[in-house]
Amino acid sequence: MTAYIIRRLLLLPLIIFGVTLIVFSMMQLLGEDQLLAAYVDPNSLDKMSVEELEMVKEKYGLNDDPFTRYVKWIESVAHGDLGWSIVGKEPVAKAIIHRLPSTVELALYAIFPIIGVGVWLGVQAALHRNKWQDHLIRIFSIVGWSFPDFVFGLIILMVFYSWLGWFPPGRISLQVENIINSPGFHQYTKLVTIDGLLNGRLDVFWDGLRHLIGPILTLSYLWWAYLIRITRSSMLEVLSKDYVRTARAKGLSERVVINKHAKRNALIPVATVAGSMIIGLIMGVIIVETIFVRPGIGSFAAKAAGQLDYASIMGMLLFSSLLLIVGNLIIDISYALIDPRIRYE
Amino acid sequence: MKKLLVALLLVFSIFTFANVMNPNTIVDVTIGEPDTLDPHQAYDKASGEVIFNVYDNLIEYKGSSLSEFLPRLAEKWEIDGNTVKFKIRKGVKFHSGNELTPYDVEYTFKRALIGNPGGGPIWMLYEVFFGDYFSLKSAVKGLTGHSWSELVNPETKEPVNAEAKQILLDFYDKYIDSKVTVDGDYVVFHLAAPKVYFLNIIAQGSSWGAILDSKAAMGLGLWDGKKDGWWKFHDWKKEDSPLYAKEIGSGPYELVEWDRTQQKVTLKAFDGYWRGPAKVKNVVIWGVDEWSTRKAMLEKGEADIAAVPAQYLSQIKGNPDLEIIEGLPTVSVTTLNFNWQVKPDSPYIGSGKLDGQGIPVDFFADKNVRLAFIYSFDYKKMIDEVLDGYGELVPTALPKGFLGYDDNLPKPKFDLAEATKYFKRAFRGQLWRKGFKMTILYNTGNAARQKSAELLADSLKKINPKFQAEVRGVQWPTFLDARKNGKMPLYILGWLADYPDPNNFIYTFYDSKGDYGYYYGEKYDQFANKPQAFFGGKSLNEMIEEAASLTDPKAREEIYIKVQEFVIREGLGVPLYQPVGVRVHRKWLKGWYPNSIRPGDDYYHYWKSDK
Repeated sequence: MTAYIIRRLLLLPLIIFGVTLIVFSMMQLLGEDQLLAAYVDPNSLDKMSVEELEMVKEKYGLNDDPFTRYVKWIESVAHGDLGWSIVGKEPVAKAIIHRLPSTVELALYAIFPIIGVGVWLGVQAALHRNKWQDHLIRIFSIVGWSFPDFVFGLIILMVFYSWLGWFPPGRISLQVENIINSPGFHQYTKLVTIDGLLNGRLDVFWDGLRHLIGPILTLSYLWWAYLIRITRSSMLEVLSKDYVRTARAKGLSERVVINKHAKRNALIPVATVAGSMIIGLIMGVIIVETIFVRPGIGSFAAKAAGQLDYASIMGMLLFSSLLLIVGNLIIDISYALIDPRIRYE
Repeated sequence: MKKLLVALLLVFSIFTFANVMNPNTIVDVTIGEPDTLDPHQAYDKASGEVIFNVYDNLIEYKGSSLSEFLPRLAEKWEIDGNTVKFKIRKGVKFHSGNELTPYDVEYTFKRALIGNPGGGPIWMLYEVFFGDYFSLKSAVKGLTGHSWSELVNPETKEPVNAEAKQILLDFYDKYIDSKVTVDGDYVVFHLAAPKVYFLNIIAQGSSWGAILDSKAAMGLGLWDGKKDGWWKFHDWKKEDSPLYAKEIGSGPYELVEWDRTQQKVTLKAFDGYWRGPAKVKNVVIWGVDEWSTRKAMLEKGEADIAAVPAQYLSQIKGNPDLEIIEGLPTVSVTTLNFNWQVKPDSPYIGSGKLDGQGIPVDFFADKNVRLAFIYSFDYKKMIDEVLDGYGELVPTALPKGFLGYDDNLPKPKFDLAEATKYFKRAFRGQLWRKGFKMTILYNTGNAARQKSAELLADSLKKINPKFQAEVRGVQWPTFLDARKNGKMPLYILGWLADYPDPNNFIYTFYDSKGDYGYYYGEKYDQFANKPQAFFGGKSLNEMIEEAASLTDPKAREEIYIKVQEFVIREGLGVPLYQPVGVRVHRKWLKGWYPNSIRPGDDYYHYWKSDK
């Protein structure tokens, strides 16, 4: 096991290197012209002479060949410098660090309802197989599965903000922003709700939470659809297993059979999915963050890609591949711990 | 459970009502965010809007006017030929507490000339101060005979040797130091030639005319005001400037924070402002890129002002809480331009001959061809279908609202019969019989330009199936290269005003030395320099240059109208449309006034009231 972990960790830089190389090469296919558009406002672009364009290219190293550019990028990364983010308007590393708390906070709050409710509904569907509860849950799941996320987000925004006025977009309201930025308020974790509690400011906590509910609802529904399907089928499979039948034959109560024998085994595949879901949540909140104007890394990555801000794209890639690889490693290890039959050589 | 729900609902509703209207804060939800807050690097509207509110200029426009000025940091001014003198107001404080002096003005403009970042706005100052040079590097090259790279080591940013250093020091003495001088309470600008639009260039609304606090600037590590070492401050990257996210102005608002994670700029009223503090204490300019979200915020009243793209306007029309102002002129035009002498090796002119497989290199030197093309474009369809009606026709490239704009001049017309008539006349009927082949380029990604080119190509084919124009998208530098090297027979391009003077359009488009005219080819240059009976023996270039040098607006206006009549008669290019703008804000926001050259809102004049 230890050897396996070490091997995986040693492979880590190689994989990241490979990923960055592929993406960087693909970006070069677009050519320096497209990259230039990220540096110059379209209106002033119309007025620039070829000489001026050359000056700008020279200044930002866009005239360098792709190899030199990549080497320069690797060199600066080695010095801890990920370059300047055009969309973030600050160094890439800072841009990611500054945006991470917002996404982490969202993921942190979203994960409980997603897993709790999703698994519960999946189990209920399996237990009431082909009864009205099952049908209802499955319809609910199919609708969520087939709904485009941005449409659902916009509906949530319309109902809960435009009509009811409850859950506004953004991360905090302007009044609370003043409180947070005041000298008496300590930002320990940069997570609004938690800092609010740590400072004993319930109003800050509520405000942070109020801004989180819309995105959480959107994310939850979309993930529920996924989790329900997995839990339901896994549960159904386990319920048909011999040991469940044996347990029932032994005269154990249905509750014990379900909770002790069936559910525990059915949740093994669900746990794997839930693990990657946490990573996915951190990386995949692009639409939700954009609609609800949350300044997180999802909306940052989307903007960077849209504007071909290559320093930011590469930085996000580095960050996300690191997260994915380490995350998956942790999942694999915990998987082995949950299910003793699994051994890594 | 029910009790908890009720409690939650109560908490939410309290927050909701508290947010409806905040009389002390203006929230402006917009698209994007500033590019930089350094006035000498900013060349986009979002940056300009913040700079407009945190800095002061020497003069400002009178309300909505684009040609009348009011004093600002300058109490008065005098123009005498090449010299413009401003008397600097006393008792003005910068946000730092430093008092503004004439030296700050001198420092500001010299810092601009020295800094002159590539791709930035300072070329305009070069134009008025140096005449033939548009950047520091070209001025150094032209005036000393040495290129910048021969003088300064790009790595160390130091002169390559003692001789180079002396050349740079002399350049400063002779050409930078002499342009702006302090004379008691006055600051004197020494221009290359009498240029009345100098006032437009430096008026409020142009970040490059914003006055910096010299002491604060030096404290931040900007140019120290000395001639020794000035070269180190040239052409900095945007992100390297200490003014990138800071301000050192004296304007009505101070910058509290530019939160780049949220695309949010927060301003607060400057209590020590010389005109008295602004009525609304706080301003938040917030980049909310998603339209639905902006709309929701505006409808809830959490935003007072919102950017509304024309295609979404119908969604908010009829809302009694909103004030929607349509038909606001903008200061840009999109035009179709002809090259009178295409390079023979151009890949865009087919065979290069009048044989039905191409066009001759001097195709557009023929007035009939130009006029025929002008009649072939469906202007109305373009405006109605591509711009959703948010554009209007103008007679020439000079936008509505500018001095010299005349609504009585004939506007371009879509008339296939007229087009046919001119096509039949061109090249003594040969063009009609043989037809032609050519390529119209557009820069990829620009949908409006692509559509314009397609509309034109469609019409041409309808007129005569032998008229074949292929529409092709190319990368921007390819497009520019093709234009620069005279390979594009015709092209569609836009121009956004830098300053609201007709010279910024008339000279640009029709003088054969202008940014556009220069690329119409040698034949056009000869034409523009040829004495014309229409102008009483003067050439088109002479007329345009004379208008630029005059100070009397009436006399200038007359010349500009005359020039435009000539442009229309000769078919020297054609404007396809001038976009029109829309303004949307909550009705409780008072004090807004239109001014098309302003980069954004003038919050100083706003207040909020139900009445």
